[in-house]
Amino acid sequence: MSRWKRILLFMAIMGPGIITANIDNDASGITTYSVAGARFGYSLLWTLIPTTIALVVIQEMVARMGVITGKGLSDLIRENYGVKSTFFLMIGLLVANVGTTVANFAGWAASMEILGLSKYIMVPAGAIAIWILVTKGSYRVVESILLFACLLYFGYVISGFMAHPDWSEVFRSTFVPDIKWDSEYIYLSIAIIGTTITPWMQFYLQSSIAEKGVKKEEYSASRLDVIIGCSITDIVAFFIIVTCATTLFSAGIRIDEAAEAANALRPLAGNYASLIFAISLANASLLGAIIVPLATAYYISEALGWERGVNKTFKEAPQFMWIYTFIIVVSALLILIPGAPLVFLMVLSAVINGLLLPFVLFYAISLVNNKTLMGEYTNSRSYNYIAWGTVATIILLTSLLIIKTLIPNIL
Amino acid sequence: MAFLGEVFSSEIIKKHVLDPKGEELGRVRDLVIVKGDPLPVIIALIIEKKNKLFYLAWTDLNIFNKKIISSSVYSDSLLIYEFKEDDLLIVRDILDKQIVDANGAKVVRVNDIKLEGYHDKAVLVAVDVGMRGILRRLGIERGGEDLMRLFKKHLPFSLISWNYIQPLHPKLSSIALTVPRQMVSELHPADLAEIISQVSHKEGASFFKDLDVETAAEALSELEPDVQADIITAMDSERAADIIEEMPPDDAADILSDLSAEKAQEILENIEKEEAEDIQELLGHEEDTAGGLMTNDYISYSPEMTVKEATERFKRDAREVETVYYIFVIDKDEKLIGITSLREMLLAESDCLLADIMETNLKTVSPGEDEMVVAEVVSKYNLLAIPVVDENGYMHGIITVDDIIDVLLPRSSRRKRRKV
Repeated sequence: MSRWKRILLFMAIMGPGIITANIDNDASGITTYSVAGARFGYSLLWTLIPTTIALVVIQEMVARMGVITGKGLSDLIRENYGVKSTFFLMIGLLVANVGTTVANFAGWAASMEILGLSKYIMVPAGAIAIWILVTKGSYRVVESILLFACLLYFGYVISGFMAHPDWSEVFRSTFVPDIKWDSEYIYLSIAIIGTTITPWMQFYLQSSIAEKGVKKEEYSASRLDVIIGCSITDIVAFFIIVTCATTLFSAGIRIDEAAEAANALRPLAGNYASLIFAISLANASLLGAIIVPLATAYYISEALGWERGVNKTFKEAPQFMWIYTFIIVVSALLILIPGAPLVFLMVLSAVINGLLLPFVLFYAISLVNNKTLMGEYTNSRSYNYIAWGTVATIILLTSLLIIKTLIPNIL
Repeated sequence: MAFLGEVFSSEIIKKHVLDPKGEELGRVRDLVIVKGDPLPVIIALIIEKKNKLFYLAWTDLNIFNKKIISSSVYSDSLLIYEFKEDDLLIVRDILDKQIVDANGAKVVRVNDIKLEGYHDKAVLVAVDVGMRGILRRLGIERGGEDLMRLFKKHLPFSLISWNYIQPLHPKLSSIALTVPRQMVSELHPADLAEIISQVSHKEGASFFKDLDVETAAEALSELEPDVQADIITAMDSERAADIIEEMPPDDAADILSDLSAEKAQEILENIEKEEAEDIQELLGHEEDTAGGLMTNDYISYSPEMTVKEATERFKRDAREVETVYYIFVIDKDEKLIGITSLREMLLAESDCLLADIMETNLKTVSPGEDEMVVAEVVSKYNLLAIPVVDENGYMHGIITVDDIIDVLLPRSSRRKRRKV
């Protein structure tokens, strides 16, 4: 194959991996990185390397399953593990994902307030826009828009440069772990690695690859898509930490929210940096508010065998579209109702996600090793060591994170 | 062994299987089925004990119901079983599988499977695709019923009869229905047509792929002209020709006149010569005239034929012809000289000649007659069909009362005709 042909092929296959990984940097991801940078400067940068590796290992397996079986992860779980496992997994994920979507709408609302726009106008407007996009758009259109929106993440790279960091210090911290025995430091490093891999990502990635209909022969392009996606994600995370570390950490400003970071940046790095930060947060939040409900609609429809897909109309896939609509409407309303228990819901969502992640990863790794499904595309023995090691590490970190969330004073 | 009544697979799976002394042989892991007539039959149980699988033939069972499963053999005579690709197993191959309809659209999953007794055997009668099936699998069917009763609702049974499921083969990744999802009950071709006109035309065409030619032809005749044209255009000409050949020539002509000239020509070339000539002839007439309404599909015999001979011939000819209530009597020069009805023919002595029993006071219309005039004539004389005869007495075809109704009804599936 000539080089041009290869590039064209990759352009056609590219999408699911880049989108899934990028949207992993949704409102809560950005908050974690901002807080980490502001609190500990460059010293948490090293966590991004193991995070990238873990992300690539897991996403690659899931993408491979999507290509080889042509089915979603939820399809495979239902077909191989029966009703009971699927049913409880789905109920849990539905609750967790409503929570995640609420968090994203909250991020959207906060960034709009920074830009001086009322959330009572912008939340409904955002909700309607993303509803129309998915219910009326075709898969191709939606994917192109999402890919374009992923470009806006480069705003963080720009704001990183605008902050004028000490690059030699940055690179040293990236490759040399500087572990502090501080409870908050440990918590944040666990949070960075632990929150990177979420259940909904696995379902979304596999379903969108399946809907796209990537063929076996094109698998290497899909793998490249995943690797590029995961790398970009962590490059973005890197620049968020760098921005906050250079400015907020040096000035000794503590923050708890990504939106606070955008505000605090104004006097330190200038109006533009602050603006870019806010717009990027708005973009990331809205993307999360599309993908998380979409992932939910995919896996519930797959589990119950209903027609599904962004390409389908409301008439062809009514349940799929209704689930998507329901989650967006409920989440947007929760943001607008004064006094709604948002914090409780987000904590609940984080806990459920953490509790379900081991099952999802366990199913994924068992399915990818199932010869009847995967044929010659199962994991090799050595790859299985890496995969199981990654899964075990993530499960351990996530468990610690849940404990810390439930009992904040434990560390 | 007699197995009567019905049971769901979820009520059998994981049940204990007992030997004649009441000792446990193991738990049911799966059921092996084979194709049967009319429904798939269970030939064995796969039972599991201490992580080993055993094969228990259906003929070795004593009792098989949702309370007790017992065998007439002891554990030492059981054969070890290993999963084989070629076996068809209920749990492994059917349960939880995706069901797609005849268009390939995903509908639902197999939540449970219903078995029934039939001639000492257990056969698969239906798949449960409803909430009830899921609740039963979760072991809370009763709870679900109670909950629904609180809301004054009834938990529906959603079963798809096995008759609507396409033949299974091992290693299948989804289970296909023979019908589109909108219908799970027996349908008249006219109703089928209504459904097809609701789905997108592309899906409509793929739907026709799975119908037998006869049903396809009948359903197609019932569709609106623009839908017909789209569906036929989407098919390859050979398949389209097969279906059109099966239709009454007047309907066939109507469809062809709505197609592009090349497509129509291509299809005509694939149709049997005689049939094609009939259709060609019909295509030559103006719309809204008797010629445009008529079909050349009718029964005609010579006046010298005896009633006995005619009845014999009729039995062969009537299969292919749409309107059989009138028998047209035509002489050697193809001129219409009389008409008799099926009733007259059946009541007459078998050695009578058709010439003796035929009616010679004929009501006919000419090919150029306006369709409303035709309707008036048919209505006035209460006819089921009226022959179309030109000024020289040659018979061209007949117009049937159902085509007249189409003309009269306001919205009417009236077909615009264009000369090819």
